[in-house]
Amino acid sequence: MAGNMKAVKLRIKSVQSTMQITKAMELVASSKLRKAKERAETCRPYFTELHETLKDIARENIDFSSVYARESSNPRCCYVVIVGDRGLAGGYNANLFKCLESAAEGKDYMVLPVGKKAVEYFRQRGIECLTDRFAEIAGVSVADCFEIANLLCEEFRKGTFGHIELCYTVFTSMLSQQPEVFSILPMTDIREESGGKVDTKNLILYEPNAEVVFDAIVPEYLAGLVYGGVCESTASELAARRMAMDAATSNAEEMIDKLNLYYNRARQASITQEITEIVAGAEGL
Amino acid sequence: MSTFPLRIGTPDGLLFEGDVERVVCRSVGGDLAILARHCNFCTALGMGEASVVMEDGTRRTAACIGGMLSVMNGTCRLLATTWEWKEDIDAERAQAAKKRAEEMIAKGGLTDQEYKMASAKLQRALVRLSVKE
Repeated sequence: MAGNMKAVKLRIKSVQSTMQITKAMELVASSKLRKAKERAETCRPYFTELHETLKDIARENIDFSSVYARESSNPRCCYVVIVGDRGLAGGYNANLFKCLESAAEGKDYMVLPVGKKAVEYFRQRGIECLTDRFAEIAGVSVADCFEIANLLCEEFRKGTFGHIELCYTVFTSMLSQQPEVFSILPMTDIREESGGKVDTKNLILYEPNAEVVFDAIVPEYLAGLVYGGVCESTASELAARRMAMDAATSNAEEMIDKLNLYYNRARQASITQEITEIVAGAEGL
Repeated sequence: MSTFPLRIGTPDGLLFEGDVERVVCRSVGGDLAILARHCNFCTALGMGEASVVMEDGTRRTAACIGGMLSVMNGTCRLLATTWEWKEDIDAERAQAAKKRAEEMIAKGGLTDQEYKMASAKLQRALVRLSVKE
């Protein structure tokens, strides 16, 4: 019985120290989350405006002189996958990969991973990566996003792939984050996605001409979307981690309560046994 | 004069939203002004001074660098890489950036990429300073 008591005591201690870690992680995540949430919220209007504008243009565009506007003959797709650097964030990383896999099923694709977990994941599966220079999502700045965009444009023009899609996690609220995949290039893909047929004959005037305009705005548009995706995903990751750690802490508390009860019962039993032994011994005298 | 809705966005947030009379900015092909009832239009922005004439006739100037301008069904969206209102420009910082870029270029021995970056930095600083003055 005494041995059992010791084991329980040890177990309580270990659970307690785990709980301390999860609690600390929760605090760290929630303090970082405040900043990340702010960043995501300031960036969001730009992100949505940019996407809306391009959707509008795609819907009504009938000028296909630019490579970015034409339908591509290359079926290969490049996914820009934005996930976290670290695990212990509940289903955050796994959900995104699941979402990606269902979207990419049966397609010939390559990826541009942002975030350490993405690099690890694709390396394990032997999927071709465009570059793993942007492995650390924590350090990605606006300038890096421009670099990513330029790289994507260059490869797109070279014909390495014919479609580009963005895969990231939308930060809906502190409690809910939704993985999402959508097409960002070429324009014909965006039109299909927004479900628009050309029903209006609302022509757009490009100045000086469509090719020059698209060449100038597409890198910018890609950079804007990638940056928006990074901001949203960072906030989502921290929110997911905070929730996961909150759940872990409360589970640990529950476990400690149960173990304490068990420990007390064992202690009681050993005392009772001792008394019985003493009484029995005294009677024997 | 009639007005039209304008939205100015940058990665740092939505900087302006409201009805304006006129917006003037520099595109890749030169300066242009947008008035109400413009036809559907799309262009890329260059670097230069931009100004917005508000509903009440006041004029605000800003430094506008890169991005796109689109007019869709009467709504104008100006999505810039950087957009700084005249009063928000940090002249000292721009001055310092100008000096740094000039030194870099004067020193020479830069790769193409570095030279491009330095001259872009110099140009940005010059735009900011010219707007501020």
